[in-house]
Amino acid sequence: MKSLNKLIFASLFCSIFILSACNKDDDDQVVTEPEETGTITLLFDNRLGDQNISIKDFGDTDYQYTDEDGQEYNVSLFAYYISEIILEGPNGEKHLDPLNVSANADEVTGYYHVISTTPGSNVINLKGITAGTYDKIRFTIGVNEAGVQEGAAGGVLDPAEGAWFWNWNAGYIGFGVEGNASNSGQEYIDYGNGFETLEGTFAIHVGGWKDVEPAPGEDPKFVNNIQTIELDFDSSLKIEEDLNPEAHINVNFDEILKGIDFSTTYGVHRPDLGKPFAEKLVNVFELDHVHQ
Amino acid sequence: MYSNWIMSTSRSPLFWSAIRSVPYWACCLMVILSACGSNDDDQPEAPIDRYVFRVPENFPEPTYTFDNNPVTKGGFELGKMLFYDPNISRDGSVSCNNCHIQATAFADSPVHPLSVGVENRLGIRNAPSLVNMAFFPEFFWDGGVTHLDFVPINAIEAEFEMDETVENVVAKLNATEKYKTKFREVFDIEEITLPYALHALSQFTCMMVSANSRYDRYIRGEGESLSALELEGRSLFQDKCASCHSGDLFTDFSYRNNGLDSTFADTGRNRITSLESDIGKFRVPSLRNVELTSPYMHSARFSTLEEVLDHYASGMVPSATIDEQFVGSESLGIPLDTDEKDAIIAFLYTLTDTEFLQDTLFFRN
Repeated sequence: MKSLNKLIFASLFCSIFILSACNKDDDDQVVTEPEETGTITLLFDNRLGDQNISIKDFGDTDYQYTDEDGQEYNVSLFAYYISEIILEGPNGEKHLDPLNVSANADEVTGYYHVISTTPGSNVINLKGITAGTYDKIRFTIGVNEAGVQEGAAGGVLDPAEGAWFWNWNAGYIGFGVEGNASNSGQEYIDYGNGFETLEGTFAIHVGGWKDVEPAPGEDPKFVNNIQTIELDFDSSLKIEEDLNPEAHINVNFDEILKGIDFSTTYGVHRPDLGKPFAEKLVNVFELDHVHQ
Repeated sequence: MYSNWIMSTSRSPLFWSAIRSVPYWACCLMVILSACGSNDDDQPEAPIDRYVFRVPENFPEPTYTFDNNPVTKGGFELGKMLFYDPNISRDGSVSCNNCHIQATAFADSPVHPLSVGVENRLGIRNAPSLVNMAFFPEFFWDGGVTHLDFVPINAIEAEFEMDETVENVVAKLNATEKYKTKFREVFDIEEITLPYALHALSQFTCMMVSANSRYDRYIRGEGESLSALELEGRSLFQDKCASCHSGDLFTDFSYRNNGLDSTFADTGRNRITSLESDIGKFRVPSLRNVELTSPYMHSARFSTLEEVLDHYASGMVPSATIDEQFVGSESLGIPLDTDEKDAIIAFLYTLTDTEFLQDTLFFRN
């Protein structure tokens, strides 16, 4: 009982301490005018050559695109993560889209999954940006260590809600594209339970986020395929409370598949195999235009 | 939520007083508890909240992200429900508990050398012990998973384990009233989602801290003594084994080839890193409760500790990636005579944590 009394006393003491700390904070607060903020809309236009991607079923040999090597292909499914978005302006303006990982889907912020099966996922609305002039955007393709190592997360990071996640080499697939190619070496595979891979398809999944410095004299242990894209706006954008500026960004899927030989490369599911594709991502994302 | 202050405990006061507190969600609570432990030695045992994660004095800091997912009684119980529920698997036949049994420190039973999944599908590796995972930097024999929350996804989706999709698991949970009620109670959510289920499982598995073996009580100076043979074994162990099985978790969490094979159907760590230099390497396992975790090695090659030590003494085979420590001038391995092996095994038996193995906290409800 003596212990219990002690507990109660100490709990009260803690509570008082915490409460008084709260009061103090309140007293110190100075009422200030809320800073003017605005929004920007980012639109990702997913392209194949000079056209928007026309999604085809797996097994559909209606090829939308023919590459420089004469390989015909189309796209059935794609997805990529955009995160760590930063806007910058010529006068030192800088807006970091807040990143948060949480089991609560509503509290996950700053991670966006553009996925072909979810209409509208290519439109990202950023809010709460300090009013000013902006002329540059940076963002990450993929989910880096900070996003993975916080553990289970909701929303676009939830594998049961459509997140592209590798269970065996835990982490998110930063960029993935699947489709059909005239010369794909892929043969038919039946996995049972309704899962199958059709003949003539391809699947390129770029994942891998670990960036661990190797010990002296040792080979690098991991392939980090997280890529940062930096795009200059073609003209400065004003962000103010009553404006709705937009930035249109082309995502050129023919660029990530440029140089591929589908007869030998049709299933990429490992960080090291994804590296050559990750390195092309800088050419995949291109600013089309901005407007107020 | 944290109202279960007055819980009886079977653990000795010495054990609790030796435990360092973790200020994750309740610094005040912790300070109070430890104060009780140190000041009231002559008083009746202080009430212990069994659902608080505590770091044993001789352990390193945990790796788990308790900030995101503090352990609560409700969360722990929910994790336990999930852990013992075969409905998580595709056909309702396999629970986590099928391959992770408390009596063997949550390793598999010796009758399953390799894990057995739905439709009695045989796995490729021996299911390892789950104890002390809150302190592990990486999981599975190949270390492919880097956060405890993600561990169950692998087991759920592997076709030779539960062969189920995470989407279906969530649907099944949402269709079960007892889960709906419990998730609402614990996490204040109406719709069950995967991350909350994973958090609950982590709360259950994080609490699997095995740190009260005779060795622990000896090393913490809690009045336990080891026999001359056990002490000799400890000295030999430190000399010959502890370069890999280091620290009080008895692993350095590295990946090594210990000469089991010369060719590798299961390439181990290489599956994660794709490096040739990692072919045939597997995680150095913790040796806690090793007396009970037979069979040994990722491939369940050996059924007794004698066989394990025989392997290290004279059974290794060379390969390109074999660990340099085993390459001697005359032969591969660690020179060990029979007496030395006996002493080492006697020491390894001191790592058995009987209290943990029998702790009713983890019993199926």
